[in-house]
Amino acid sequence: MMDELIEYGVYVALLVALAIPLSAYINKVMAGDKTLLSRVLVPVENVVYKCIRIDKNEDMGWKKYLASTLVFSIFSFVGLFAILMLQGFLPFNPEGLPGQSWHLAFNTAASFVTNTNWQSYSGESSLSYFSQAIGLTVQNFVTPAVGLAVLFALFRGLVSEGHLGLGNFFVDVTRATLFILIPLSLVVTMVDVWQGSPQNLSDYETVQLLEPVGVDEEGNIVDADDPSAVETVDEATVPMGPQASQVAIKQLGTNGGGYNGVNSASALENPTPLTNLIQCISLLLIPVACVFSFGRFVMDRRQGRAVFAAMFVVFLASLVVVGVCEQMGTPQLAADGQVYMGTDGQSGGNMEGKETRFGVTDSALWATFTTSASNGAVNSMHDSYTPLGGMVPIILMALGEVIFGGVGCGLYSMLGFVILTVFIAGLMVGRTPEWLGKKIGPKEMRMAVILCITTPILVLAGSAVMCLDPATVDSLNNPGAHGFSEVLYAATSAGGNNGSAFAGFNANTPLINVVLGLEMLANRFVPIVAVCILAGSLCTRPKVAVSAGTLSTCNAQFVFLLVLMVLLVGALSMFPALALGPVAEHLMMAL
Amino acid sequence: MKQAKTWGSGLLLFLVMTVITGVVYTAVCTGVAQLAFPYQANGSIIEVDGVKYGSELVGQQFTDEDHMWGRVMSPSTGTFTNNEGEDVLWYGASNLSPAGDDFAEAVQARIDEIHAAHPEKGSEPIPSDLVTNSGSGFDPHISPAAAEYQVERLAKNTGKSEDEIRAIIEKCTEQPQLGILGDARVNVLKVNLMLDGILPVE
Repeated sequence: MMDELIEYGVYVALLVALAIPLSAYINKVMAGDKTLLSRVLVPVENVVYKCIRIDKNEDMGWKKYLASTLVFSIFSFVGLFAILMLQGFLPFNPEGLPGQSWHLAFNTAASFVTNTNWQSYSGESSLSYFSQAIGLTVQNFVTPAVGLAVLFALFRGLVSEGHLGLGNFFVDVTRATLFILIPLSLVVTMVDVWQGSPQNLSDYETVQLLEPVGVDEEGNIVDADDPSAVETVDEATVPMGPQASQVAIKQLGTNGGGYNGVNSASALENPTPLTNLIQCISLLLIPVACVFSFGRFVMDRRQGRAVFAAMFVVFLASLVVVGVCEQMGTPQLAADGQVYMGTDGQSGGNMEGKETRFGVTDSALWATFTTSASNGAVNSMHDSYTPLGGMVPIILMALGEVIFGGVGCGLYSMLGFVILTVFIAGLMVGRTPEWLGKKIGPKEMRMAVILCITTPILVLAGSAVMCLDPATVDSLNNPGAHGFSEVLYAATSAGGNNGSAFAGFNANTPLINVVLGLEMLANRFVPIVAVCILAGSLCTRPKVAVSAGTLSTCNAQFVFLLVLMVLLVGALSMFPALALGPVAEHLMMAL
Repeated sequence: MKQAKTWGSGLLLFLVMTVITGVVYTAVCTGVAQLAFPYQANGSIIEVDGVKYGSELVGQQFTDEDHMWGRVMSPSTGTFTNNEGEDVLWYGASNLSPAGDDFAEAVQARIDEIHAAHPEKGSEPIPSDLVTNSGSGFDPHISPAAAEYQVERLAKNTGKSEDEIRAIIEKCTEQPQLGILGDARVNVLKVNLMLDGILPVE
């Protein structure tokens, strides 16, 4: 028990300890200041600007900043869509895999361009090395860079005193990619390979089975000497490819789309507990650092700490619930004492869908980290979590990915909640709402509300549409309440730009691919538009002096109000749906 | 005019990033990995006398009485074929709800199978990893407790002593990294290759 507690502590402590110095580095990079890597990277950076024909000193107003973001995303979408459909004609395809169908390519392109990385396909059996490295890896890099860029545009608007420029979108994306994402990814890639992750361009390996098996007429696997066997299979496949390099940025960029269908549960993607630690920290590192960056940027680090505290409280509570539920397991598994559920010489607990090298502890940590961040990589199958253990990830995603969330986008959505809280608290005491010395007007409020309610609306609409189609029943892997949870999880994952799944759910149908694709696009770009308008509007607000009557946004009282507001919006919108899915299943479990 | 410039730069940035983060990044990672860690970078394949017996990282299903059993697996054909176009095996997770009836039945079936093969264990509770499917569907490991559970059966069916079996298990056991990370685990394929005399124990 003690070992498990120490391990939980190591993960959380290391995360925070690394995020704080990284936040200072991020601010330097985004401000264009000199850093350790400047000598090597500044020349590269200048070549990029020359190639894309921009003036790096141009300061963009909110309209131009937004237009640049959207234009870049449109090209990313079209480019990726084309690669996925034309895969069969492109090089680096040793398995000779064909292109994706139009609806799957639409879903996948939407998914990777929105930093969601929901996958209706299995990478190792349907994507070529070209699609993985040139198509998906590129989006894994640029989407977090876009998130960071938009976040810093908001920061600049916040501290602006009448100056209307929000920075240069192209410079922000280039610097975030070159100075932050690539160096960190190189380090993580090498640790992963050292520990066992493949990184090559070879054909898949075929290996000899020690115990060959037979296949009967229906395609079921039987013993090799079984009389019903019509075919003997004596070989298995080991998928190869440039796995480690894609996995590194999948984590650091809060992308989460696995090289393999089973994601980081595969020992090829995540070979040891050490890689698990590195990947798990990576996937939440930049979002946590962003929160501290916020405090540094507004020259009041207490502001960052307050937002961090609010997120951290919800994060820890979620971790405890998942950890306890999974360690307890279910009566169905315990089978009246026939199965040992304790921790002596083994992980014990609910091991269905979990890997031996990780056990319950590393799996519960990962599930909480990945759904707090809008990452969505998994190292265990969430579909096989206990009802309440599996409900926590749904809640974390449904809160709008504001408990740290994705790179950049998590914090800007949370700042929407901060504005909402400031407004409501201001109303309670009869004061004009102010935040960081700026008056909050109707325009800011409208944008903040859009940030807060986009996810719940998309989640509920998406799951409703899928439930209306009778064919959705065929996509379910489990009957009853758990089946509804599978639909709800998919809609929430897409609507929160997370990308993890109750993976038994077959999402590769035209309707589901399109619904989830639209959800992902809306949840990415509606908030980006709102943030740019918000930033543009904040620029024009004069600074007002802080007075005794100003509501503090960095004390415990405010943290409490902020958490309350986040949970209230989440609970009001999601409770009925949760009651039909995981809560119902939990109540029936004990019967 | 100004708008055309934004479109142009947007397209160019996409292309430049494709070269830097798609081509150059992947090439550098692959090159360095192949030089520094060739065994791992090529899939940790266990090869003895020219025969590839598997990857250390991809489990196989074992049901023979003289082999150590691993996690529950659901192998299937139809996903991959070899160079001759013949079916080869691949694996998947169950994704069953652990609170469902289907799961309860599957667990009970596995318990009965284990009890039948291990009469000497009586009603001793079975480690939970031995009756469950893994996350990947091809977990290469089981817990030390699950390995110990099978020692008597393996000794009986392989003609080796229990101490010899335990020595092999110990040889194939990885402890938690840095003393605290993850759980101790036994590589099932390696144990069976040693039981069959393909891999040397010493």
